Amino acid sequence: MLLKMAGDTDMEMKTVSVDNINVDNYRKLVHTYLNLHAYNTALFWADKVVALTSGNPRDIYWLAQCMFLLKQFHRAAHLLRSKNLDKTYILCNYLTVRCLFEANELNEALKVLNSMDLEVFLQAGNTSCNTTMDAGMFDDTPKYQVQSSVLLLKGKVLEAMDNRGLASECYKQALQCDVYCFEAFDSLIRYHMLSAAEEQELLNSLPISQQCTAIEADVLRTLYKSKLKKYNTIVGLIPSKTCKPIYNNTPLQTSLIVMHRKFVNISDTPKTSTMNCTPNSEVRTDKVEDTKSDQMVLDSPENGIQVRLQQSLDLAVSQAELFYYNCDYVQCSKITESILKEDPYHASCLPIHISCMVELKQSNKLFTLAHNLVDLYPNLAISWFAVGCYYYVIGKRDSARRFLAKSTSLDRLFGPAWLAFGHSFAVENEHDQAMAAYFKASQLMKGCHLPLLYIGLECGLTNNVRLAERFFQQAQIIAPDDPFVMHEMGVIAFQNLDFEMAERHFQDALTRVKPIKDSIVPERWEPLLNNLGHTCRKLKKYSDALEYHHQALVLCPQSASTYSAIAYVHSLMNNIEDAVHWFHKALGLRRDDTFSTTMLNYVIEQLSMEQPPYPDAPDYIPDFEIATNAEEDSTTNDNVGNASERQITASDMSIEVDL
Amino acid sequence: MSESEIKLDLVVIKKDLTAGIRECSQRGLYHSAKWLSEINFSIAHIKLPLETSSVVTELESESYLLAKSYFDLKEYDRCAFFTETCVEPKPRFLHLYSQYLSIEKKKLDNMTDTNCPPDPTKNNALRMLCTSLKEDQFVNKLDGYCLYLYGIILKKLDLNSLAMDIFVDAINEEPLHWGAWQELALLVPDKSTLLSLRLPNHWMKHFFLAHVYLEQLNNEEALDIYYDLHSQGFDKSTYIMAQMAIAYHNRRELDKAILMFKELLHLDPYRLDNLDTYSNLLYVKEMKTELANLAHTAVNIDKYRVETCCVIGNYYSLRSEHSKAVLYFQRALKLNPQYLSAWTLMGHEFMEMKNTNAAIQSYRQAIEVNRRDYRAWYGLGQTYEILKMPFYCIYYYKQAQQLRPNDSRMILALGETYEKLDKHENALKCYYKACNVGDVEGMALVKLAKLYDKLNEVDNAAAAYTEFCFKEEDQRAGGYDGENEFYNAFQYLANYHLKRGQLEDAYAYAYKCIEHDETKEQGKSLLKAIATKRAEQEGFNAKSSDQSKANVTDITNDGNGSAMEMVFSPLNN
Repeated sequence: MLLKMAGDTDMEMKTVSVDNINVDNYRKLVHTYLNLHAYNTALFWADKVVALTSGNPRDIYWLAQCMFLLKQFHRAAHLLRSKNLDKTYILCNYLTVRCLFEANELNEALKVLNSMDLEVFLQAGNTSCNTTMDAGMFDDTPKYQVQSSVLLLKGKVLEAMDNRGLASECYKQALQCDVYCFEAFDSLIRYHMLSAAEEQELLNSLPISQQCTAIEADVLRTLYKSKLKKYNTIVGLIPSKTCKPIYNNTPLQTSLIVMHRKFVNISDTPKTSTMNCTPNSEVRTDKVEDTKSDQMVLDSPENGIQVRLQQSLDLAVSQAELFYYNCDYVQCSKITESILKEDPYHASCLPIHISCMVELKQSNKLFTLAHNLVDLYPNLAISWFAVGCYYYVIGKRDSARRFLAKSTSLDRLFGPAWLAFGHSFAVENEHDQAMAAYFKASQLMKGCHLPLLYIGLECGLTNNVRLAERFFQQAQIIAPDDPFVMHEMGVIAFQNLDFEMAERHFQDALTRVKPIKDSIVPERWEPLLNNLGHTCRKLKKYSDALEYHHQALVLCPQSASTYSAIAYVHSLMNNIEDAVHWFHKALGLRRDDTFSTTMLNYVIEQLSMEQPPYPDAPDYIPDFEIATNAEEDSTTNDNVGNASERQITASDMSIEVDL
Repeated sequence: MSESEIKLDLVVIKKDLTAGIRECSQRGLYHSAKWLSEINFSIAHIKLPLETSSVVTELESESYLLAKSYFDLKEYDRCAFFTETCVEPKPRFLHLYSQYLSIEKKKLDNMTDTNCPPDPTKNNALRMLCTSLKEDQFVNKLDGYCLYLYGIILKKLDLNSLAMDIFVDAINEEPLHWGAWQELALLVPDKSTLLSLRLPNHWMKHFFLAHVYLEQLNNEEALDIYYDLHSQGFDKSTYIMAQMAIAYHNRRELDKAILMFKELLHLDPYRLDNLDTYSNLLYVKEMKTELANLAHTAVNIDKYRVETCCVIGNYYSLRSEHSKAVLYFQRALKLNPQYLSAWTLMGHEFMEMKNTNAAIQSYRQAIEVNRRDYRAWYGLGQTYEILKMPFYCIYYYKQAQQLRPNDSRMILALGETYEKLDKHENALKCYYKACNVGDVEGMALVKLAKLYDKLNEVDNAAAAYTEFCFKEEDQRAGGYDGENEFYNAFQYLANYHLKRGQLEDAYAYAYKCIEHDETKEQGKSLLKAIATKRAEQEGFNAKSSDQSKANVTDITNDGNGSAMEMVFSPLNN
């Protein structure tokens, strides 16, 4: 290097006059080396070009860019600022800010950013397109894209400074300037800053048709739509070549809740997993028609582009998410696994994949994945999140919490980790700590109703029904169509002994859950059906109750609590033989169930007292119809009375356990 | 009966069988293939016109062959993996079936203790498989064999009514798959359900109906059909012979059944199927040498078959080596946790060993496997009797009784329990019924009489006692345990007649009382009373009749009340 330099200076600089040198050749050299990622070489020649042209701003810009790529952020910023370029050229300004941002000098960055008036730049651009040079453009980068990038950067700086309100304004503006600016769009939706309705509004407000041709607009809209929130979609038909069955989407969150409720029994509830999902664009209920038609368009052979786009991994991720929200974890994991086969560290796929693993309790796969991630990306929150989830699945909550905390410290905005953190407390009945974590999550994810829902759940579990109801209502404002919220509202109503209201809530939830084809309801919804059964029983609609319990049994067979619920309904209907049969079944699965044991004692006694000794009980033994029959009846009636009184309390217990 | 008009075209049957055997064995459904082949063998004399067997080249045959060889070597997961993308029916079925078998195999392998069968709630894998089948079924993608598999899984998950529908569908699609019929037979709860099933009009239906009837202990109807099939060309079928033997066994025609089994073993000496029933028969008849012989033969054929273990278990049980017997039953269950007889018999052994908890567990398992196992219900009744929980006891005896409405043992046990609860009327009805259906142990009548007496139905009581005495006198050749009862009956009758003033009869009965030590004294005093009464009557003096009456009541009160003992003899049939 030294030798070479010596040669250069000796031979050329001194002897050849500046004019004879074609500076453009050197510039080209710089570009070539940049493209080859040989930044040091590029830097060397860029420096020479600057010297040759004695400080042409454009060349200085390129020099700074080389420094930026070499991660010499301060050096680049200093270069640009010392030449005062950041005040005159928009791109230089942008690069300076970028450098300062990377160097984590946020205040400085904001100062530089504000020192240049975007409006001025814009006006200059408007008045004379040819004077781009003067306005700060060096090449033919379209102005609106530059503007959008500046706004995006501003948003990022603001967000890093925790000023999220202003940041999201910047993102929106950036998106308005350039609808193709995905990063702005992603920043808006990724952290659940917006609620589903707001997301939809955003999408509608974009000047897509002004900025692109009709076909491109279609493509763009579909792509963005696939990113919107999915949980409040009732029926989402996503066109896909790969996936056979089409399910309606059930909200992810809901399932979490159900899980949560259940956590009394099932310790390793994969609530965490649900949270991870990156927010996607929302498809509103009333927009279902639109989506469908879009998909029709997609599917039609003329639209080759869109069909091809289906093969993009991003869209596959959306598809996986959809399955996830449908509680179809098997299908979801199939897709995510195939995605990860192609792209082992696909960033937006990983959270879904990890969630899925948690749901399916595949601790071994999770272990390997977490190891790989931590080895490769120890600085990413997702890596530690995976580790935390692994420990969560295998039931080591302390370690889980430690790693989840690490994950949140790496990326404070990483909502899933916060929720998982909360879950790890919740499964251990540490309600207060769980709530604290959920609160933190709810601050971060303003547009997501999940944290609220969980807080409500914790309130409900600490017997604070009032407060719980309020949180559920808030959650419902954010996600009005979410069946999980409806279900929880139903539970609250049930606890308030308002059974009609409870039934209405449950029915609402059920209609949202029931797919177009009504036979396949995801297994997750078994508690909903059972709760409907309990409610119907309270309302004395016994045959309905039985029907619901049996449906629940189909979803989740061999469940002791369902068995004893069925038995209980039978005993209230005075089908004593059936009641005995089902109680036996329930006790066969869970021997220490006091409710079933007590009830079985009652009914079996009743059975042997009331029923004839054998089916065709003979009346024909002569002379043997004695008055004692009447007495018997009265005693049995007493029994029934006692039994039902007791059962009310006992059944309350059982419904809680079920939930 | 409509079954009596069975018309069978043996040529068609043969053709069907050949096709069925091929289909089943290609799918790894070995038991069905075996059954079909047995039937096929029994009509070996029928010759089919030679057909040019066209070699059908099937799609995906490479993956099918690969998968099938893995399947045969029991490498189920591998088999499932290599058939994952196949859509042809055979590899597709292998894919699903091997998944199922893999789950079952793992469950079995993970079972540590036979006393606690695999936890039924740990069935996630099975549930997932079920869900995927449910989805396929919803879009009608399942063929007859896959439907059968779906039904099996539903049954495993205890969704029996759903499973029944699925099996019916499966049968309608593939009537030649005997496995589906067999599974359905286990699910049909009663005859009315059976007749309402939408079954294809296929010759297999006759076999099925007979099977179900036998399963439901509807022995006569089952036998009718089997006779019919027998006469229609299936006279060489070992299957039908075995079924008929079981029917005889159920009818308690033990000797006939044993004969049948002997003949069966003569024709098919290395057969193990149904030998457990045979060993039960030998056990009940206490034919020790035959049982020992059977046990040794079975061990020689295959030590590790459930039937063999059962035979050996019975053998040890007959020699009163109960713990050894339990060991063998446990081994049987290790081989197949769904093996009904072993559960029940193990329950009996535990009863012998006075281990009620283990007995209850075993019986309950037996009922889980098959709710129609009346022996297990009866056993449960007995255990709860020991545990002094009469209400449960009544329930279990009732279940047993409903399954065997004409078996006096159940109804008698039920009556005794009612009596313990002071439900004399119900008890009386039970005893009455027991007498009606033909009392095996001869205790019902006397119990009935006592209860009549207790309820002040003196005339009925006397009638019952008289009947009892008649019967006993006929039967009594050698010594008899119930001598006391017998003489108490005489005593009662003597008193009764005395009270009525039927002095001749009273005298005859009282005289009998003297034959026995315990009743001697009473007999003598009765005779005295009769003598005085006779004297009074002869003297046309009715004054002292009041006094004698008082005497009579005293004496009857002395009579030993019900000294019932519980009898825990295992019900082997």
